[in-house]
Amino acid sequence: MTALGLHDVHKSFGITPIIRGVSLEVGKGERHAIIGPNGAGKSTLFHLISGRFPLTEGSIRLNGEDITGLKPYQINRRGLSRSFQVTNIFPKMTVFENVRCGVLWHLGYRYSFWHNTRKLKDANDRAMAILQQIGLADRAQLPASFLTYAEQRALEIGITIAGGAEVVMLDEPTAGMSRSETAHFVSLIRKVTEGRTLVMVEHDMGVVFDLADRISVLVYGQIIASDTPANIRNSKAVQEAYLGQALESHGEAEH
Amino acid sequence: MSDATMTAARGNPALDLLRRYGIWVIAAAVMIVLPKIFTSGAALTTMCLMGIMIVFSLAYNMLLGQTGMLSFGHAVYYGLGGFLAVHAMNTIAAGKLAIPLPVVPLAGGAMGLIFGFIFGAVSTRRAGTVFAMISLGLGELIASLSLILRGFFGGEEGITANRTKMLTLWGVRFGPQIEVYYLIAAWCFACMIAMYAFTCTPLGRMCNAVRDNPERAEFVGYSTQMVRFITFCISGFFAGVAGGLAAINFELMNAVNISGAQSGVVLLMAYIGGIGHFVGPILGAVLVVLLQVFLSDLTGAWMLYFGLIFITMVMFAPGGMAGLIMLHLPLWRRGTLLQIVPSYAVMLVPVLMGLAGLVTLIETSHHQLVKAATDGPAMKLFGIAYNSNSLLPWIVALALMGGGLYLGKLWGPRMADAYSDAAHGQDSNKREAGK
Amino acid sequence: MLELVIFSTLNGVLYGMLLFLLASGLTLIFSMMGVLNFAHASFYMLGAYFGFQLSQWLDFWVALFVAPVCVGLVGAAVERWGLRTVHKWGHVPELLFTFGLAFVVEELVQMVWGKLPVDYRVPALLDFHAFELFGTTYPAFRMFMLLISVAIFLVLLMILTRSRIGLIIQAALTHPNMVAMLGHNVPKVFMMVFGFGSGLAGLAGVIAGPALVTQPSMAHVLGPILFVVVVFGGLGSLPGAFIASLLIGLIQTFAIAINYSLGDALSAIGMARPMQGVLSDLWQVTVAQVGPVVPYLMLVLILIFRPTGLMGTREN
Ligand SMILES: Nc1ncnc2c1ncn2[C@@H]1O[C@H](COP(=O)(O)OP(=O)(O)OP(=O)(O)O)[C@@H](O)[C@H]1O
Ligand SMILES: [Mg+2]
Repeated sequence: MTALGLHDVHKSFGITPIIRGVSLEVGKGERHAIIGPNGAGKSTLFHLISGRFPLTEGSIRLNGEDITGLKPYQINRRGLSRSFQVTNIFPKMTVFENVRCGVLWHLGYRYSFWHNTRKLKDANDRAMAILQQIGLADRAQLPASFLTYAEQRALEIGITIAGGAEVVMLDEPTAGMSRSETAHFVSLIRKVTEGRTLVMVEHDMGVVFDLADRISVLVYGQIIASDTPANIRNSKAVQEAYLGQALESHGEAEH
Repeated sequence: MSDATMTAARGNPALDLLRRYGIWVIAAAVMIVLPKIFTSGAALTTMCLMGIMIVFSLAYNMLLGQTGMLSFGHAVYYGLGGFLAVHAMNTIAAGKLAIPLPVVPLAGGAMGLIFGFIFGAVSTRRAGTVFAMISLGLGELIASLSLILRGFFGGEEGITANRTKMLTLWGVRFGPQIEVYYLIAAWCFACMIAMYAFTCTPLGRMCNAVRDNPERAEFVGYSTQMVRFITFCISGFFAGVAGGLAAINFELMNAVNISGAQSGVVLLMAYIGGIGHFVGPILGAVLVVLLQVFLSDLTGAWMLYFGLIFITMVMFAPGGMAGLIMLHLPLWRRGTLLQIVPSYAVMLVPVLMGLAGLVTLIETSHHQLVKAATDGPAMKLFGIAYNSNSLLPWIVALALMGGGLYLGKLWGPRMADAYSDAAHGQDSNKREAGK
Repeated sequence: MLELVIFSTLNGVLYGMLLFLLASGLTLIFSMMGVLNFAHASFYMLGAYFGFQLSQWLDFWVALFVAPVCVGLVGAAVERWGLRTVHKWGHVPELLFTFGLAFVVEELVQMVWGKLPVDYRVPALLDFHAFELFGTTYPAFRMFMLLISVAIFLVLLMILTRSRIGLIIQAALTHPNMVAMLGHNVPKVFMMVFGFGSGLAGLAGVIAGPALVTQPSMAHVLGPILFVVVVFGGLGSLPGAFIASLLIGLIQTFAIAINYSLGDALSAIGMARPMQGVLSDLWQVTVAQVGPVVPYLMLVLILIFRPTGLMGTREN
């Protein structure tokens, strides 16, 4: 069963083609990593899937339904949630409220102006549980802008998973983190995406090989390989195009 | 009034209740008692106006403060609500409609809601500057239409009504101003609660989310356009209620009530009070009405002071009065509020000097330019009689202003230090310096 | 009829060119600084009053050159000691600052020159009829206004397309962050842009003052129309502002000249006028009365159907 299916997706900004015919299938419950050099178009691909940019060509399916051309909120309501490479939270609201914003729609409160959020036990409990999961429970009443960078990244993931979406997409969740923070984050991601489909972009090969069931390599807007971690590691084409340098630098960092 | 106070008060249920509702009990008590303290007719009219403006500016702040929508045309809903209410009153007086007067503001609200719905559908598709411009365009459009459609708007003179010619309810005729005051106070109180409650609802919370980061709000399932639209309609409703109250209070509605100037005034009120907090617009409405009443009595140049106050606020206190008060909340919690009083008291000297200089300058020029031709150059200010022709008052004014500015600049950093000592404690400052 | 068309066209183009003098400055300020200047029309008013005062003390021809410079200096001072402080709070407070400024300027003008219109006369040198057509005369001063505004327009065009500064400005119009990248002293550039834009508005005031009425309400009557022009043309687009200026100038002038109502139209085709109901007024209203409404209607419509305006590229 495919959770997310891309069929011959193209995207150009003006006359510059950035995504040049990407087709991809992500199975239900699969943890899929997308890797590739800087500027390959990974974030752009995320934007296309989540509805932030319109496609130039091609189609995208979510659980078998066509979601091409839908608005971000429509796609989100159908069970796809994403995080951003550059932290994208509600800075003036409290950490607790940030997460609760991610919860409200999916518990059916929608645009209600007749419920009192303080009395919404289900929403508040769920938000609190998420905060516990991401380790920010003791920061709950702080404005989000007061958090440290790593905490904001955690919050970013918290907002993303709060709605209980089946397909979770994370754009470089561990970028800019120290080694120990990264290790903590890997177990966090593993924990919170239990039983869900995960698509993530990541530069840290340790994280990628640790977490992913399958890996796709995106180079200049095209997928040059999509396979299991072991096969990707051994693929000549991938070695040449990208992984060679990435693995080397990863190895160096470990010594 | 936030989630923080909510969690802080957990434990003792009685205390919890008191914390949560105590402020409303106090507000109600104040509204009931005020006319017993300030019994003069002028005070009563002023307080009626305050009540109306509190509702209007709170409605306005649903847009600006809560959802981040800057509107330059909110008087449209206030005015239309008011005009419909006036017509409703006349219809009732003619015996064609049988509803009691206290319900009439609801008619105004309905009008505000309907037009909020129509114009909101058009304007809330866009945010930011474009929304602001559409609101300005719609505002001017309706304002100029109001001069053309004489049947509904009554042209320059407006439309009058007589509130005493209504059905009587429990024998209350709403003839005396005090009865109207309690009617307005009751509506004002109900609207305040309703609008506060709105901030606690899922939609109300998402308004803040849309204000803070509209893009992200779309990725948690909310259409920002829909959030803006529904909020706009609700805000239109309350603005209409305020208009209805105004119609009852003045028994008159005219083109001024629906003009761009009225839209500007509500913006000033909300902003001066502070758009970041629920109480802000209430403070702003009270202050601005007071200024309108008292300043216009004291000086002919009151509009100028009004504009200067607004500019000063925008430049130096973008959080408004509520923001200034909130700045001192941590100090109060730490119990260090008294500690900064001396430092503020010292600052009072240059501030008063500068103000005295500015007032002298404005008043003397005002006298010289506006009144001297008819009343002669002799004038009186702060109890001192002098001649506006002579050079001395000008020199004194400029010297006071210059001195105030100089001393203020001198003391400013010290005051800031005193504040941060009080807010974060002296030791923490020292520790940071030691690092 | 022909006479009406000719004179209205002339007046419409004149009004449009005046609008453009203001709109070009406003567009420039908006594009480079991101500030939608509510007080722009106030600088126009200051121009008219300074022009009046200087021509009282000295001479109109001195005023023509000195008053715009004074207004420009006032504008630069406002930027330096006002806007710059507010800049750090963001665009909304900037807008509100200019909103408050417009308020204060109006009050100051009222205090200094009174609430009634001042007697700002056409200079004697130009106080004659330029030509006569079908028995109607056209004042020379209006021709002079047209001349000045066209001349300024041409000079602006030259500066924009031929000079180094013009190229920088053009770059800044399309890529607002360019100015900083080019290594210019941004605050100083902002101050000069604001001063220059205000000066242009002041010049428009000096030449419009004698022909239109110089009174304290002239700013807030014109201000909203000015916004219509820049938004209609497309925020940040000078060609758009030019087209919109002329369009609105012509529409308003023609509307005033046509004294014809919907009801007249109905009776002309042999139908009875509806006399009842709240909207019955709508049938009595003449085109001339609707004139002031038209620009706002245009604004609302274009923002609904083409939010970027006629030639704009930016949405916000
Ligand atoms: N809105 C846009 N307009 C024009 N070009 C864009 C836009 N967004 C991205 N690009 C270009 O598309 C290319 C791909 O960008 P993208 O952010 O998708 O790369 P990426 O693979 O995520 O890189 P990184 O690893 O650095 O995050 C880049 O060359 C970028 O300059
Ligand atoms: Mg990226």
